[in-house]
Amino acid sequence: MDVQRLKDSFARVAMHGDAVPLFFYSDLFLRHPETREMFGVSMAAQRDRLVHALGRIVSSVDDLAGLGAYLQDLGREHRKFGTVAGHYPAVGTSLLATLAHFNGPAWTPELAADWQAAYELVARVMIEAAAEDAAWRPPFWEATVVAHELRRFDIATFRVATTEPLDYLPGQSVSIESPERPRLWRFYSMANAPRDDLTMDFHVRMIDGGALSMVLTRGLTVGARLKIGPPVGSLTYQPGSGRDVVLAAGSTGLAPLKAVAERISMLADPPRVHLFFGARTADGLYDLADLEKMAAGCPWLTVIPAVSDEPGFPGERGLLQDVLARSGNWREHDVYLSGPTPMVEATVTQLTALGVPRSQIRAEDFGWSEP
Amino acid sequence: MTTNPRSGERLTPDQVQSATFSPARFGRRGYDEEQVGVFCEQVEHEIVTLLNEKAALWEEVDRLRRRIMGGTADAPGTRPEDAHVQAVRILSNAQQTADRYVADAQEYSRQLAEDARRRRDEVLAEAKLHADRVLGEAHAQAARAAEAVTTGPAPLSNGEWRDRTAELAYLRTFSEVYRTHLRAYLETLLHNVEDWEQTEKSSLAAARAELPFPFPSPSPPPSTSPSSAPTAARLP
Repeated sequence: MDVQRLKDSFARVAMHGDAVPLFFYSDLFLRHPETREMFGVSMAAQRDRLVHALGRIVSSVDDLAGLGAYLQDLGREHRKFGTVAGHYPAVGTSLLATLAHFNGPAWTPELAADWQAAYELVARVMIEAAAEDAAWRPPFWEATVVAHELRRFDIATFRVATTEPLDYLPGQSVSIESPERPRLWRFYSMANAPRDDLTMDFHVRMIDGGALSMVLTRGLTVGARLKIGPPVGSLTYQPGSGRDVVLAAGSTGLAPLKAVAERISMLADPPRVHLFFGARTADGLYDLADLEKMAAGCPWLTVIPAVSDEPGFPGERGLLQDVLARSGNWREHDVYLSGPTPMVEATVTQLTALGVPRSQIRAEDFGWSEP
Repeated sequence: MTTNPRSGERLTPDQVQSATFSPARFGRRGYDEEQVGVFCEQVEHEIVTLLNEKAALWEEVDRLRRRIMGGTADAPGTRPEDAHVQAVRILSNAQQTADRYVADAQEYSRQLAEDARRRRDEVLAEAKLHADRVLGEAHAQAARAAEAVTTGPAPLSNGEWRDRTAELAYLRTFSEVYRTHLRAYLETLLHNVEDWEQTEKSSLAAARAELPFPFPSPSPPPSTSPSSAPTAARLP
């Protein structure tokens, strides 16, 4: 397989931008109309994802070890969309047709053979990973809403019960799909450590124009069904460092850190934990009552609420990173961060400037911001 | 901008889409961000159109070339490959139209939600201001009354005592009136919020009923949802 020739031909195709995935999906849907209903009405974001994945694969096609893990994830990830092994050859046919179309006269039988071989390799890794995954867990979990509470006009907490056990680490997230918005999966973090009764809590804030967040905040009633994907994410508690802990959460970024706090509460000898919970206004501290109740029973836990945009607030005022900076010396602490992107970025910068080693800061970028 | 136009590399729609501009130097006026964004969108659209046109022309040339070389055997448009590419193009156009409708609808919904949120904040701020004023005024009145009673310069005569009692009664009434006003005001606000909720619910239901297909499951821009996983690539 001539790797350079493969990369060159892909570069030629990528020149055409959005026209490439557009051609690919139209070709696929014409050859296999039944695959159309695996996607939502709008395909714009889907096309970006395809181009991103192809670019990622082609750019590291000569580093199969690094690529392997990515492809295995991709294969497992596709199970919840209903992808089965039989879909792969169809995708391969349309992919080659697309490449041929955009390569024009540069498309040769040798190039076609290279691409065919590369695709078969990729497909095999994905199919095998999916099959291994299928041996021990379902493609997604069926869940029923057992409680839903609107804490502010745009912030809700809800609890679901799954029919099958879902093993996860406190701090991880799952993707959620609602029948109200079919084929639209969005990630949310569990706000609790795993429970024997198979229930999980989620915190959700309505995003202006956000298709799923609107349903989950204001359109969800007890008894509603949801689909839940496999757990992902690495914002999980790492025991054994011997250091005390700072948890800093902005808005509904609290969910994974509340789960981490719960995890710590199960330790025989928990470290000291400072939990900073920030919001713009006091009514954004939607879960403070619960946190304070938790702290009342845990002498090792201190909860510090902070509000940035409400001058009359009786507690700490200011941006979370500033409150954090003036509240103590955190150089000997493990810090866990979760919240709107600007808050997480500013806090990482602030903490490293204060001498907290970057290796002691665990942050998850949830890719959102507060309006 | 990250692309050097003199490097000889062609600008791709992708590059235009992901172009970033450095912020203007402190104290100097930068470009209007929105204008730059709108312009980039136009540039991207333009390039995609040009590339599509180019591809179409290339195909046409290829088809004609083959026709010349292969003699007169092929009538135009009868080759199955041509028909398939035509179909792909038609479907692609339809898809782009659908994408645009969904994006427009989503943008409209985002604007509505944003407006509603701003109005809510305004209403709440106004209510708080109003409440503060009412309370402040009542408080000031009461303080004045108390001061008059306790620090009166001399023992009160009968007439003065009568006046003070009258003032006290007046103030009691006054504060009651204020309370009633405040309650009515807050109830109206609450009512407004409920109305708003009702309207939202019924308009959502109505909108859903009117749509010919399960509409929409648009993916919001990746920056909107609390998402902890990398944007998962999804082949089909």
